[in-house]
Amino acid sequence: MRKTVSVLLVCMLATVLFLSGCAKKTGDTGPIQIALQAPITGDYAYEGQMAKQSVEVATELINKAGGVLERQIAVTVVDDGSNPKDSAIAAQKAVSLKVVAVIGSYGSSVTEPAEDIYEKNKMVSVGYGCTALRLTVDKKPNYFFRTCGRDDAQGLFFAKYAVETMGAKLIAIMHDNSTFAKGVAEEAKKALQPYVDAGKCKIVYYDAVTPGEKDFSAAVTKLRNTNPDVWYYTGYYTEAGLLVRQARDAGLTCPFIGGNAAINDDFIKIAGIDVAKGCLMTQEPLVTDVTTAISEQFRTLYKEKFGDVPSSPWPVYAADALYAIVGAIKNANSIESDAIATAMHTNMTGVEGVTGAIKFTAIGDREDVPYKMYEVTADGKYVVHQP
Amino acid sequence: MGITENILKRIGLGKPSGDKPVTFWSRNRGWLLLAITGAVFAAYPFLPFISDYWIDIAFFVGVYALLGLSLNIVLGEVGLFDLGHTAFYAIGAYVTAVLNTTLHIPIIVLLPLSALVAGGFAYLVTSPVIHLKGDYLCIVTIGIGEIVRLTMINNPFNLTGGPNGINGIGGPNLLGLAINSSTQFYFYTWIIIGVIVFGLIRLQHSRIGRAWNYIREDATAAEASGVDVRSYKLLAFVLGAALAGVAGNLYASKQMSISPGSFTFIESSLLFCIVLLGGLGSIPGSILGAAVVVVFPEVFRQFASYRLLFFGLALMLMMIFRPGGMWPRKREGTGLDGLGIRGLPKNDEDLILLGKPDPAMIKPATTATVRGVRLPPVTVPMDEGMLLQTHGVTLKFGGLTAVNNFDLNVRTGKITSLIGPNGAGKTTLFNMITGIYKPTSGKINFLGRDITNLKPHTIISYGIARTFQNIRLFPSLTCIENIMSGPHCHARSGTWAAVMHTVAEVREERDIVATAAYRLDQVGLWKYRNELAKNLPYGKQRYLEIARALATAPHLLILDEPSSGLNDRESEDLMVLLQALVTEGFTLLLIEHDMQVVMGISDWVAVMDMGQKIAEGLPKDIYNNQRVIEAYLGKEDD
Amino acid sequence: MATFFEQLINGLTIGSFYALVALGYSMVFGVMKLINFAHGDLFALGSYLGYTLLIASSSWVTVHFGLWGGMAIAMLFAFTGIGLAGVLMERVAYRPVYPAGRLSLVVSALGMSIFLQNGIMAIWGSRPQAYPAAVVPSTRFSLLGLPVTSLQVVILLISFTLMLAIWFIVEKTTFGAAIRATALDRSTATLMGIDVRVVIFFIFALGPALGGIAGVMNGMYYRAISFNMGWTYGLKAFTATILGGIGNIPGAMIGGLLLGLMESLFAGYVSGAWKDVFVFFILIVVLIWRPTGLLGEKTAEKV
Repeated sequence: MRKTVSVLLVCMLATVLFLSGCAKKTGDTGPIQIALQAPITGDYAYEGQMAKQSVEVATELINKAGGVLERQIAVTVVDDGSNPKDSAIAAQKAVSLKVVAVIGSYGSSVTEPAEDIYEKNKMVSVGYGCTALRLTVDKKPNYFFRTCGRDDAQGLFFAKYAVETMGAKLIAIMHDNSTFAKGVAEEAKKALQPYVDAGKCKIVYYDAVTPGEKDFSAAVTKLRNTNPDVWYYTGYYTEAGLLVRQARDAGLTCPFIGGNAAINDDFIKIAGIDVAKGCLMTQEPLVTDVTTAISEQFRTLYKEKFGDVPSSPWPVYAADALYAIVGAIKNANSIESDAIATAMHTNMTGVEGVTGAIKFTAIGDREDVPYKMYEVTADGKYVVHQP
Repeated sequence: MGITENILKRIGLGKPSGDKPVTFWSRNRGWLLLAITGAVFAAYPFLPFISDYWIDIAFFVGVYALLGLSLNIVLGEVGLFDLGHTAFYAIGAYVTAVLNTTLHIPIIVLLPLSALVAGGFAYLVTSPVIHLKGDYLCIVTIGIGEIVRLTMINNPFNLTGGPNGINGIGGPNLLGLAINSSTQFYFYTWIIIGVIVFGLIRLQHSRIGRAWNYIREDATAAEASGVDVRSYKLLAFVLGAALAGVAGNLYASKQMSISPGSFTFIESSLLFCIVLLGGLGSIPGSILGAAVVVVFPEVFRQFASYRLLFFGLALMLMMIFRPGGMWPRKREGTGLDGLGIRGLPKNDEDLILLGKPDPAMIKPATTATVRGVRLPPVTVPMDEGMLLQTHGVTLKFGGLTAVNNFDLNVRTGKITSLIGPNGAGKTTLFNMITGIYKPTSGKINFLGRDITNLKPHTIISYGIARTFQNIRLFPSLTCIENIMSGPHCHARSGTWAAVMHTVAEVREERDIVATAAYRLDQVGLWKYRNELAKNLPYGKQRYLEIARALATAPHLLILDEPSSGLNDRESEDLMVLLQALVTEGFTLLLIEHDMQVVMGISDWVAVMDMGQKIAEGLPKDIYNNQRVIEAYLGKEDD
Repeated sequence: MATFFEQLINGLTIGSFYALVALGYSMVFGVMKLINFAHGDLFALGSYLGYTLLIASSSWVTVHFGLWGGMAIAMLFAFTGIGLAGVLMERVAYRPVYPAGRLSLVVSALGMSIFLQNGIMAIWGSRPQAYPAAVVPSTRFSLLGLPVTSLQVVILLISFTLMLAIWFIVEKTTFGAAIRATALDRSTATLMGIDVRVVIFFIFALGPALGGIAGVMNGMYYRAISFNMGWTYGLKAFTATILGGIGNIPGAMIGGLLLGLMESLFAGYVSGAWKDVFVFFILIVVLIWRPTGLLGEKTAEKV
């Protein structure tokens, strides 16, 4: 009897679920539905929640300016839990909601299964925190784009800077075995190879620390003993902050350069300003540096709603993704996926986001993403470093 | 009984027994339920409000159901604490991914291959650690899980793609039909699961499944009943790993890309929860548990960052209110039909008669095989008429000598009693004879064969059975299931035979039940056959243990204090039974304290004190032996 | 050579955190045979409690009691708070499940862990926080030629003192005997007149409370705290407990220290990326060699 009751309960629950999941399709009138796939729970929750906030701000600004095609836009959030399996489910959910396009996601191995599903369903998706080459270079997608940069561009930038601008001979590269950090580290290593072959420098340290841990004393002692001229860490800001402080405590004096996952206000908080001061970061242009009208509005409204600008650059790319989609819709004068995709590939004139003009290459990467070397100032701000 | 009836009985939805009105519904319950389930399953993807999203959820429920079922074998059936099961899942997924992307081996071929590799891997890594107890095994499995995951991340030999994992994995292709839509994957996965579940149900109700349960209930007792505990534990791990490998293959071929992030310790914990939520050892429970674990976070999506909070809460509430699981395995009251064995005589009397042993079986065997067990050749000269002899057997525990140079002679067809004050070392001697301890020196010969260093289950299969001083039954199993462990070691059917229900296997199973029925009836417990052993009163539990020992068809029956805890009347009944056993052809070796029993039925008595033999002879001689009296009562003050 | 000693000290420092968390963990585990997965999260909660106290009072505490006083008060606050949390947790989530057996308790513990982690995230946010430099003592000096901070020394001292105190209570006092008796055989202990409820209350108060103190010290030492920081420590605590031998409380401490040392030395001399693989591998080898842990008793099963 109990079993039959349980089975019946499950059936009832299931029925309720189906009904609740019914699609809100974008019709001919009413708001244009767009989905945001982000890690609202899980290890990357902080990024996902900020991305959600960014997109909220961008939505408000766009709607205040009249929306697009004389319609407002509405954004639904689907949580991908910071892991690939839930990402696949989330992508399917977004597809079932029959939205016009998707913004997502954060983390390349999390984005990958979602990208496959969106491609299969011919739905436009714009990633904002996924920098692995293979998402575009290997897959050559038709409907996938990204507003963030790519690992090789960043790695190359670091390599050039370290050898040519800083004149470093002994280079240390550290990562944390995550998709992102290892990706950038590998690209940096690759970019340094011609210099190594020419005898201009040597990589004296290439190892990983374990993310989620707090004690890196063993690693920094080992690092210190290799006597590097420069130290590049491509992992996330929490570990970066801890690493730098522990390294300085252990007596390591060489300059520290973080990748664009380390650049975050919390890095300064964790490391302490006395240690963070002077640290460098490789980074695409920060929202605080761009001086367009949109970025002004964005900063103001974001500060108004949430107290301060987002502490990391990735949520801003999420906002950019929204601007990109809206701009493409405008230029294509249509909400059909194919039209939007074509516009994104070929016609992005006049489309501007929070970080400036947005244009995509034939395989969906953002065009002309410059990298800059940022420095932490004594009052805890990130400014472009003058060598 | 029809197949459907069988299946439903086994999963606990069998015919209601008792005086309930027989309606169309109750009579055809089996067919109707199966038909409804089948119809819902087939129609599911085509229902109007089911989008690809929900079909994909059903796919993931399938993958996790398979994982749950695979862990259920290890954790639910055998009771091994496995918190690293994703290691095998990962291996299945990576084998599929690597071989498909580099060598372009078709996914469908990789399905069994993943199972094989995962199973092989399990065999290799668990063999050295399978003897560890409980929590120690737990941490080792956690370690294995982490080692596999971290190795994948570190990308040795550039094989595993590091933290990025591997992408571009193809989909399965069934004889030309490419499986790539959600609906196709749904049917593909669930049909595979259906086949596997069918096999698992068969396995659950076979000798293998019962052996697993015996190990879970009491591993020492299982070993002493002739179950090769180590082999069965390994089998469980290998099978569980193989099924997890299949799940890995399914996952990889659907996702088209895999990365180490899907194979964390948290996943292993989730699998653990699935098995527990469903009910340990319950096949439908594991499937239901998977459904809850996958669907619950989806249902609560609208709560955004709080959904996991609710999930944690739900787990705790489940354990408070339904700790046995949502669909616990039902044992009590399913009756003999619940055993799932075909071809049993309808009549109880016929069944019991079927189990009556052939008298030739019990006389000490000199032929090469007994009931299918091939014995080693007879090589050791033994004194005439002796069944068992120990020569100079000694056991030292560090500085303490528990048994010192003991020569025991057990004559065929007679009752020998070993007596002595408490702590003399009697049980220790028995433990050495049955292989639980290894003697420091000395030899033990049985039927002309040297059995000194053999494992207990082997010794049992040669024809020695024992009972324990502290009764060791399988408490949560029914009485008949308890006894069915006896004939276990003489049967030959393996996993394949069990799943395929070969003619030989069906016959063996029938024989096992019949033998158990006979022995149960012999000790007067037939009416308790479907009761759980733990519910029996103490005295009856003793008899149950004796019946179990008898069911192994031994030549020599070793009883450790069989009359302890029995009152005078019960002791008299016991003596009658023991003498009847001798008439039947058994040889008995007893440890006893009850002098009535010793004097009443023994043919020969040996006395042990402080590990040494201090006297031996006919009961009446021992009774008056001064040294023996001193050993028990102490010396008189002069 | 100096590096070796440095790595040694690094290892001991990490190890003493593991040991302290393992200590509280193994108290519960040894007596209740309960694998309290939520223990790591209680440790994290302790860290957050200390953080909240020091931040919320806007350094009033630090101003009036100095840096060390502030740390002491934060630890006291965490000690009490987490002790209460532990007792509450046992009462609400575990006690109803005891009759169902160990495995069901594991699921409850997992559920509690998920609940706590997400609860912390809900209250304090998903962004990592940091103990501000202003509340953390930071004098450094040189001990035998090696760079050492005062905080490090104090933490090591406090850890060892606590471990010693617990060891003394458990091994040398009557109440400790009661604890050990309950661990070995709960029903017999009850029959011997031991009020098992008091024992259970004690271990569920003290065990987590120790974790809470460790959390505050950890927060001060590393400064960064995040809602999921407890997970790793919980797992390491379990590993340390098994390594030392189940039911052996000093064994858990030694297990923790060894764990820290192994990690440090391996990461320092071979590879940081493979260090956890190495540690688990060593653990498995140790268990094959000594199936009941390093100090665990070979309890002969009476057959």
